[in-house]
Amino acid sequence: MSDKNNDTLDKTSASRRRFLQAGLAGGAVLAGASAARAAGDPLITEVQDWNRYLGDGVDANPYGMPSEFEAHVVRRDVPWLTADPVSSINFTPLHELDGIITPNGVCFERHHGGTAIINPADHRLMINGLVDTPLVFTMQDLMRFPRENRVYFLECAANSGMEWRGSQLNGCQFTHGMVHCVAYTGVPLKYLLEEAGVKTNGKWVLAEGADAAAMTRSIPMDKALDDCLVAFKMNGEALRPEQGYPLRLVVPGWEGNMWVKWLRRLEVGDEPWAQREETSKYTDLLANGKARRHTWEMEVKSVITNPSPQAPITHGRGQMVISGLAWSGYGRIQRVDVSIDGGRNWQTARLDGPSLPKALHRFYHDFQWDGSEMLIQSRAIDEGGYIQPTKDELRAARGENSIYHNNGIQTWYVKADGVVENVEVS
Amino acid sequence: MLKFLKAGLLGAAVVSVAWSAQAADVADGENVFRKCAACHSVGEGAKSRVGPHLNDLFGRQAGTIDGFKYSAAMVAAGEGGIVWDEQTLTQYLVKPRDFVKGSRMAFAGLRKSADVANVIEYLKTFDEKMASTVGQEQPAEEEVETAMAETPALAADVPLPEHDGQFKLGRVATEDEIAAWDMDVRPDGLGLPVGSGTVADGEVLYTDNCAVCHGDFGEAVGRWPVLAGGQGTLEDDRPEKTIGSYWPYLSTVYDYVRRAMPFGNARSLSDDDVYAITAYLLYLNDVVDDEEFELSNENFTDIHLPNEDNFIEDDRLEEAHYADKKEACMTDCKPAPVEITMRARVLDVTPDSDEEGAGGEID
Repeated sequence: MSDKNNDTLDKTSASRRRFLQAGLAGGAVLAGASAARAAGDPLITEVQDWNRYLGDGVDANPYGMPSEFEAHVVRRDVPWLTADPVSSINFTPLHELDGIITPNGVCFERHHGGTAIINPADHRLMINGLVDTPLVFTMQDLMRFPRENRVYFLECAANSGMEWRGSQLNGCQFTHGMVHCVAYTGVPLKYLLEEAGVKTNGKWVLAEGADAAAMTRSIPMDKALDDCLVAFKMNGEALRPEQGYPLRLVVPGWEGNMWVKWLRRLEVGDEPWAQREETSKYTDLLANGKARRHTWEMEVKSVITNPSPQAPITHGRGQMVISGLAWSGYGRIQRVDVSIDGGRNWQTARLDGPSLPKALHRFYHDFQWDGSEMLIQSRAIDEGGYIQPTKDELRAARGENSIYHNNGIQTWYVKADGVVENVEVS
Repeated sequence: MLKFLKAGLLGAAVVSVAWSAQAADVADGENVFRKCAACHSVGEGAKSRVGPHLNDLFGRQAGTIDGFKYSAAMVAAGEGGIVWDEQTLTQYLVKPRDFVKGSRMAFAGLRKSADVANVIEYLKTFDEKMASTVGQEQPAEEEVETAMAETPALAADVPLPEHDGQFKLGRVATEDEIAAWDMDVRPDGLGLPVGSGTVADGEVLYTDNCAVCHGDFGEAVGRWPVLAGGQGTLEDDRPEKTIGSYWPYLSTVYDYVRRAMPFGNARSLSDDDVYAITAYLLYLNDVVDDEEFELSNENFTDIHLPNEDNFIEDDRLEEAHYADKKEACMTDCKPAPVEITMRARVLDVTPDSDEEGAGGEID
């Protein structure tokens, strides 16, 4: 091996060897054992490959991808949750992200019949039912309406649904990763409905997808005329196929299942349609055997993303940052409190970045860690004054079989060695 | 509008010409395979699911994928000398259970010989031995794609559509277009097509189209949805939510089967088929007990499911933790010390751990 390398000292082998050397030297310094060759960090005292050799030219990646060192930042699924990956879910890697915007490539996916692949030239949007004139729009027609840009979170109603009976999954990606937040560009649904002319008895809108599940949900007209969008862009670029390319419905603050992807039809009616996803699914079974329906709003919620089971503390005691996300389907987040003693005492965290209604909010708690174990929690309060409940409060009111709408306070147990575990506390 | 129609027709013509020009088509086969994909996977990393994976299928003795639980019949067929190749697959796929009697594969079969040929051609692309024989006679694919992805004409002076909208965008939908897409059915029966089907007819259709995932009696295979049983379990620790125990309206069954089932082959059942399957599901759930029962658009709304009255409107905001709107406690909010009462480690079902999930589901 060495002969060959000596002959052709290509960049890869050189860098691999240097990396190994640096690693060994670094280890020695950390261990405080034998003396380092140079006084200091070899990453500084020795010239590095990237500092000497030229990098790729501009067109190496016509569509840019994240650094190779970020390859672990991906959506992940929980295979046992569903029967088949074609009708399944995966999760946003919240513990690897910061700020409030979710990059398009890691927004969690939930499909009921796989990702439909639709050429925008072949896509149509129909409006029919109780309207003056049933209409058909092409994508080009839709792009001629006045459009808006809005940042919203989208949360699956089943987010944290696996935790109703107790702590189960070790990672905020799995416990809370059915949420993302992007900037949408789209046409207010109101304009489209008005273009067709809603009859006075038109009180509901049925949204339907063009996928193999022909996903359908009934949406009350008040909401449709309020803040819904028919969106074709996310974070400035076309929707990703798995997010409904070329067209999806945006139903701000309401459960993700209603945000119909591959949107092809809007029907106006005088009553809801009681479709599968609003009767058999997405209804919340209570302890007494009754089930709530039309539970659309996503309630006030928060989670600490760092540290968390997939993101343990890897530094020593002293200054540290607890970071997390908070959101509410009822509007803005007013305040987030953080506890490090399992909810006995709370301190108000610092909200940073834009505070937009029905969007993710980023919070930080900057403090001195004394190196002892902690039970860390976050508690969000929204502008309506609703306080994120504890999981026990939710169970007392609903039982453990609701599946959906679990917005209870999450506890992470941080051990002295920095390892973090999902727990519940007294 | 006329221009648009012409372009569409032209595109269709090109497609059909391309089709007749060659025998078996991988792309068409990929489409056909969607019917199979509910149970079988193929391609990189494909694993056996409800059915065995189909990588390197050609030359494989029937019933021999390690770890897959075949029917005794399929194992016997393999031992009796059946090896999968173009010929045996062609016979099998036309009517699987005629070729291997007792096969667990509930799929009824592919009626069109072109579908059979195409799906076999598609499967060859996942077989190392066969891949080189595929696509020697590629269709005029480029031509097709060009026809489909026609560039829109540049700004032309097209007459504005005749409607009262403010923006004068879009065009008036035709009645046929609305009929093609508007297939939703409401609990009050609005949207039900004229038609009928009996429990007995439904049993045959169900066995052919549904049992592969939902089980012969609606008890489900694997984690596919359970359709029958579960009455009286809604207050249990592990409620079983089925059509009979949970669903409020029969219209939802009809609507959903018609729009999305069978999984991977949606819209393939006739309206009468859907009535028959719906009738059979009523029978499996003991809502009707007569095999001669015929469900139709006439008697549909007379049928009520047992759990209809147990649905209530959203009253979450009346729960004490929201309704009280108390000040959030900041200090000494609970007695010290706070104890850990439950740990994920006890039942660690995080991916990559060994346990199967037992503690929850998402839908």
